[in-house]
Amino acid sequence: MNAPAAVYFEDIALERPVEYGSIPVSAEAIKAFARDYDPQPFHLDEDAARRTHFAGLAASGWHTCAMMMRLLVDNCFSRVAGLGSPGFDDLRWLRPVRPGDELHVRARCTDKAPSRSRADRGRVRMFVEVLNQRDEVVMSVALMAIIARRHPDTAR
Amino acid sequence: MSKLFWEDIRVPEVREYGRTTVTREDILRFARAYDPQPFHVDEAFARDHFYGGLIASGWHTAAICMRMMVDHMLNGAASMGSPGVERLRWRRPVRPGDTLRVRQETLSKRRSASRRDLGLVKNRFQLLNQNDEVAMEMESTGLFAVREPERDE
Repeated sequence: MNAPAAVYFEDIALERPVEYGSIPVSAEAIKAFARDYDPQPFHLDEDAARRTHFAGLAASGWHTCAMMMRLLVDNCFSRVAGLGSPGFDDLRWLRPVRPGDELHVRARCTDKAPSRSRADRGRVRMFVEVLNQRDEVVMSVALMAIIARRHPDTAR
Repeated sequence: MSKLFWEDIRVPEVREYGRTTVTREDILRFARAYDPQPFHVDEAFARDHFYGGLIASGWHTAAICMRMMVDHMLNGAASMGSPGVERLRWRRPVRPGDTLRVRQETLSKRRSASRRDLGLVKNRFQLLNQNDEVAMEMESTGLFAVREPERDE
């Protein structure tokens, strides 16, 4: 995990989508996350969930976000000289995530710009989609990341 | 208990609720499962990193906010989920020992164009720490059941 970062701001290529990862979603994981962070009936209990608009147990949208993050960290961010994230825009929960689903991620960098205030970093915007085993998009988000520059622009 | 329906939601309205103290163990447990970056899981690394100590995953912060929204708002309402979050910003790190609460500002509401039984409500949420600093803010839309779908607005 603490291996030297290989990917810096300069190395980020735009527009080429990359797919990776695989994370199985169990009923137990859905309920455990929901008990801690989102205890609504459609995330907690099969019987109660059947009687709601979800018509069956579904993962918390924030659980889907957390699983997306795990896929991004394991397959991408762990190699990047990341300095955190200011946030995201346009998060959409498009389809329920169900027990037995297997999720993966498709990501592309849509935009990059050197920081105006700090010469040692830049901002990257990524469009990330979370897909299930039928390649249906269950969630999408425009996520921002701050990434270190290999060669800080000393002229700034 | 009578639930809060779309008709009952007042606009504009500002409410504050919740109180959650974040522990070191919570931060480590969430991060090991979902966001194992060194500044969330490795205290020695975090001390020397630019954050100057262990900080919670931003997704953990969002989940903590959700828990308070469920306990103090959604579970008392005819909530039908959410299509998403228009905008979220992590403004300040959340550290072990921080005590968080939610400030909710209801901005607008409207009936669904496609479904008579649904209404949309737009809120701005701020997650405040014990020093009244904004740790996170987001704007999102919630779906709520309409009590009397046949009645026009």
